[in-house]
Amino acid sequence: MIAVQARRSHRTERIAVIGLRLAAGFVIIAMAALLLYLAWEGTKTFYVDKFPLWKFLFTTSFDPDNKQVGAGVFIVGTITVTLFAILVGGPFGIAVGVFLSEIAPRRMTQVLKPAIEVMVGIPSVVYGWLGLTLLVPLIRTRTSSPSGFGLAAAGIVLAIMILPTVITLSEDAFRSLPGSLKEGSLALGATRFQTIVRVLLPSASSGLAVALILGIARAIGETLAIQMVIGNATQLPLGIFSPTAALTTEIVTDMPGATEGTLLEHALFSMAFLLLLIAMLLIVFVRLALRKRT
Amino acid sequence: MAAVTTIAPRSVSATGSVRNRRIADMTATVVLWVMASSIIVMLAAFIIYMVYLGWSALTPSFIFGVPQETTAGGGIGPEIYNSFYILILTLVFTVPIAVAAGIYLQEYSQPGRFRGVVQFSAESLATIPSVVMGLFGLLVFVYLFKWHFTALGGALTLTLLNLPALMRVTQEALSSVPDTLREASMGMGGTKWQTITRVVLPSAIGRMTTGVVLIAGRIFGETAALIFTAGLSVPYNNPYSLSPWRPAETLAVHLWYSHSESIVPDVARIGNGSALVLLIMVLLFNLSARIVGRQLTKRFTGRAE
Repeated sequence: MIAVQARRSHRTERIAVIGLRLAAGFVIIAMAALLLYLAWEGTKTFYVDKFPLWKFLFTTSFDPDNKQVGAGVFIVGTITVTLFAILVGGPFGIAVGVFLSEIAPRRMTQVLKPAIEVMVGIPSVVYGWLGLTLLVPLIRTRTSSPSGFGLAAAGIVLAIMILPTVITLSEDAFRSLPGSLKEGSLALGATRFQTIVRVLLPSASSGLAVALILGIARAIGETLAIQMVIGNATQLPLGIFSPTAALTTEIVTDMPGATEGTLLEHALFSMAFLLLLIAMLLIVFVRLALRKRT
Repeated sequence: MAAVTTIAPRSVSATGSVRNRRIADMTATVVLWVMASSIIVMLAAFIIYMVYLGWSALTPSFIFGVPQETTAGGGIGPEIYNSFYILILTLVFTVPIAVAAGIYLQEYSQPGRFRGVVQFSAESLATIPSVVMGLFGLLVFVYLFKWHFTALGGALTLTLLNLPALMRVTQEALSSVPDTLREASMGMGGTKWQTITRVVLPSAIGRMTTGVVLIAGRIFGETAALIFTAGLSVPYNNPYSLSPWRPAETLAVHLWYSHSESIVPDVARIGNGSALVLLIMVLLFNLSARIVGRQLTKRFTGRAE
């Protein structure tokens, strides 16, 4: 009786492991399919339409009707708007991360943490709508910008949107430090601020790098929020209020009207493939930063 | 020797007098308090502003009415329905796969190539922009399978998008269960699978549910991945269709669509109303995540979280 039961549970065990392995394997298959299929579709610009890769990356004339699909404007747009977001949101996020880990009393944490969770949950379009109805008119009336749409509006919206990522990950980075570091510094007579700047920040640097890299990843991939405020003009951002476009916003703007198999459609898939490669590169950077820590 | 003499004066001068250090410390503390508080103030201002903008739009005819293509007065009833429809369909696919994969990674797998590849794939999937995932969905479900825009295609795309997050939630919930529980179960002769299903999972269920509900809130508001897979329209002859084989514009997609593509005259009203409904839903998801998680933990383990 016991033997039968034991054998049966042994069999259940084997089946269960197979099922669990399949589920884990599904993740690999999904990622591989995504990578291969987008690589296949995303390189058609180059091997079907014979548009040179260097022109796609480095020229700024995007006019598919005249066989020009230089994505330079969108690449520069993505880089500038991401830089803007990380320069504003990065330090701010790390500062709040330090605050949560080192200074905040329990009461404050209990308010701030749920607030950050709500910020994560607010949909991208709602941030876009807020930018559209609040930020764009503000920029229009307070600055020389004629429309209010452009780099600054997109950058500010993005900076707010990456805050939860940067805050949460940098708080984790500070919390994972051994308490002896802080105690040693305080015991030597350093103030709390000195301890944070000279001991905790350098020790947490690889964790903070991860926080910033994943913040950058979020900013590069963000689409609709900035599509609603960036102005969607195929021109290089000449000033901080200049309307421009990014890789993601260009895809969403032109894809609904693109016909299957055209140069425009192929070029948009090339941009998507480029975004995928950037995302994977950033994950490699994250791994390198984490390896340095151990 | 030389090194010592060059370091010593610098560190003394950088330390400054005790009084200056105190002032710097106080200032920094105040600045950090202000920065952290500004996040709460900003979020509160957002919520108040959106309630102020959208309150008057929330009439029964708006919340339950059907949308209009060209005239004013369109509602968002089918869009709200579609958001829930796609959310439930997505969870039906995502939860079993993600929980199983999470259990495998946390409880079974040994460090090795397979686990490494699974983890790298999951991290990559998690970092892929949702618009790129949307284009992949377009390639597979619309072009390759020739389904056209369907609720099912949208839900499957969102499954890929949210698998990694849910796997991580599962792993974190499992890792929070103390090993002593596992050892006790194994010590009484339980197999690994029995230990997991009867001891570990019940202890982790509260945290897992909290995570699932929070992710559900994100699925509810997802947009970029759905534009090219679930489409920008609802079937007008049968807007509350139960079939997954039909276009299913969700509320978040509708907000974007009515602003950027549609020609109805009352875009502002639709936008303000939809944005407020989305915000209320996010707040409800966040609130229920906490309550449900706490209740389940209490019921299954007899202890408060």
